[in-house]
Amino acid sequence: MSDQDLVVETVRDLLAAHEPFVLTPERPWDEALWQALVETGLTGVGISEEAGGSGGELADAVAVVRTLAAGAAAVPVAEQLLVAGPALTAAGLAVPSWDVPVTVAVAPSVTATADGAGYRLTGTAAGVAWTGVAAQVAVLAGSGDDLVLALVDTAGLPAPVAANLAGEPRGTLTFDATPAAGAALTAEQADAVRARYALARAVQLAAALEQVLAWTVQYAGERVQFGRPLAKFQAIQMELAEMAGEVTAVTALTDAAVQALDRDEGVVLAAAAAKVRAGAAVEVVARLAHQVHGAIGFTQEYRLHHLTRRCWSWRDEAGSELVWSRLLGAGLVAGGSGEDLWIRLTRVV
Amino acid sequence: MSGASLTLDPAPRSEAAEAVRLEVREFLAAELAAGSFSPHVDTWLSGVDPAFSHKLGERGWLGMTWPKEYGGHERTAMERYAVTEELLAAGAPVAAHWIADRQSGPNLLRYGTEAQRAEILPKIAAGECFFVIGMSEPDSGSDLASIRTKATRDANGDWVVSGAKVWTSNAHHSHYAIVLVRTSPADRDSRHAGMSQLLIDLSLPGIAINPIRILDGGHHFNEVVFDDVIVPGDMLLGEEGAGWHQVTAELAFERSGPERFLSTYPLVAEFGRRAADTQDPAQLAALGRLSARLLALRQLSLRIAAALDRGELPNIPAALVKDVGTTFEADVIDEIRRVTDVPASLDSPDPLGRALAEAQLHAPGYTLRGGTNEILRGIVARGLGLR
Ligand SMILES: Cc1cc2nc3c(=O)[nH]c(=O)nc-3n(C[C@H](O)[C@H](O)[C@H](O)COP(=O)(O)OP(=O)(O)OC[C@H]3O[C@@H](n4cnc5c(N)ncnc54)[C@H](O)[C@@H]3O)c2cc1C
Repeated sequence: MSDQDLVVETVRDLLAAHEPFVLTPERPWDEALWQALVETGLTGVGISEEAGGSGGELADAVAVVRTLAAGAAAVPVAEQLLVAGPALTAAGLAVPSWDVPVTVAVAPSVTATADGAGYRLTGTAAGVAWTGVAAQVAVLAGSGDDLVLALVDTAGLPAPVAANLAGEPRGTLTFDATPAAGAALTAEQADAVRARYALARAVQLAAALEQVLAWTVQYAGERVQFGRPLAKFQAIQMELAEMAGEVTAVTALTDAAVQALDRDEGVVLAAAAAKVRAGAAVEVVARLAHQVHGAIGFTQEYRLHHLTRRCWSWRDEAGSELVWSRLLGAGLVAGGSGEDLWIRLTRVV
Repeated sequence: MSGASLTLDPAPRSEAAEAVRLEVREFLAAELAAGSFSPHVDTWLSGVDPAFSHKLGERGWLGMTWPKEYGGHERTAMERYAVTEELLAAGAPVAAHWIADRQSGPNLLRYGTEAQRAEILPKIAAGECFFVIGMSEPDSGSDLASIRTKATRDANGDWVVSGAKVWTSNAHHSHYAIVLVRTSPADRDSRHAGMSQLLIDLSLPGIAINPIRILDGGHHFNEVVFDDVIVPGDMLLGEEGAGWHQVTAELAFERSGPERFLSTYPLVAEFGRRAADTQDPAQLAALGRLSARLLALRQLSLRIAAALDRGELPNIPAALVKDVGTTFEADVIDEIRRVTDVPASLDSPDPLGRALAEAQLHAPGYTLRGGTNEILRGIVARGLGLR
């Protein structure tokens, strides 16, 4: 058994004891599951021990995120393990503890002003994941023409309640000369933070879509109409096959983008491609999954919505599909005539 | 049957329809200005507002095509079409009366007894009496003929009904259900025999209406359980044993209207405002693509209304329009998403973000309710002479 298999098995065991539930403003995350993850050291996977994490590779962190995403787990692990953790560590910013969630805000319109050894932040960051849940937030802020990665304690910050389509908190943070630790980033480093966030969502989407396909195949085998299981109808077989095509394509590209990240190659275009491709697949996979499930899948009692509602939101988070497809297109012809598009395409992943 | 049965004659232009259309627009503008409603997506499922329905009744916009003796207004299907289209496009709260006006009333008119019609139709036309569809059961969705809810005659000639219906939209706001029941045991040779329709007062003892929440947490669906409910003998609708035939006719009304492509129109309207504002070329092109699809659907739907005026029951074209139209309703969301940068959220400060969220969370329903698109395509294939 590889390390990752072990990690996956551990996470699955925890998930078995923490079923997904309908998130509400009163109960916006699965705190008990988070505690269980803390106890098993899983909230620090992929973060070095010197930085207070539990060590392990990027692949281990990705395995944790994938498994949690497939289980519709309402915990800020993707943000922490794949984005905030690596970005803060690379910037040399110390995080007191990974036992309390750290989230990310990409908000260049927030200004960071140097203040003694640290910074003060002013401005608003909209659509921040896990507001009201995360104890700290890594803010990618602007500072004149430069960019700063700042670490802010969220206690005491006003965080109005707002949620994505799955009820996951996505609030607005308002900073008013809020003190923060921080480090200046190069444009390239800042782009890498954005790309990591997009890739984190792509990884979650790939895992969720795979699970949606598995559930739909299972349901089609069980539900009987006209005296036979739905899976026996050719129309349904075509739909399941179409879903499988989408899911497989997303997984292949996302895996390749993760490997590019692991090799520390320029990951922006790879992340953009993975995110855009995963988002496009949501359209088809979620639609057909619901279609095959019929009315039962349209209810909150049935499990399907825990993943489809997340997928509908994740595809436009960490930069919308529009933003990333523009960036990908522009990046592929940047500074050139477009003549070498093919050469550039073959270098993305 | 030849492929020709898919094509319908063009709809004649109706001056009367255009006149009533303007009246409805004026009414809606005044209601909006008075704050009597706010536009939403998919309001014919979720916009329950009995006071609003009552206002429509007062203006003569319910039961429009029915005889005057039953509270109707003897107007054309084209006029009714214009009224329903305007209400849907405005995102007005029409769910309370929708089923009664669209299909239960016409069903009663065709098959009801004189007493049933005289008692119920005027109330529907007044916007005071609401109906639900009692067809689906947990094990019987597409395969409607496999229903198990049964009704037997007791010594007094009354019906004793037991079983459960599910996905019953708005049963908790309605007065009557038209329930498809087995009145004689299932017959292996003739699956469609032995079913009947009963007109059931939802306040009768023994009926339990249990909520089922949909993706956005809204309560529209119900499970309706009948525990040996005694239904008066004279509440049989139509003929005993003719339930399947009657249900099929009812589905033609259920499938043919503009609500099969306008459920997400309020989102398109919001997007239109955005595109006008930004003049973004990609947004304008998307609006153009959506509009072209919508215009074609309208022409198809108008032809169906004209066919209804000629006394036809255009089952196959109705199935076709519903398939193409409901596919459009869901596609609207992604067309718009692809060219805007507005996160979908019910809490969004941006009306476009809220409309996207409403449309997305209701999307699975569009291509399922009233017969799934797979089943509809089977009907279209039959119309093409393929099966
Ligand atoms: C919003 C909404 C409102 C509704 N309101 C009402 C209501 O008020 N009253 C009421 O009675 N019902 C209502 N329904 C139920 C609706 O009629 C059923 O959902 C529909 O008939 C499909 O049945 P099912 O959900 O059981 O799916 P199933 O029949 O189980 O179908 C599941 C999937 O299998 C496919 N399938 C089934 N058989 C075949 C086949 N032979 N060939 C190919 N594919 C097949 C279907 O197309 C579908 O994709 C409502 C449904 C929705 C979504």
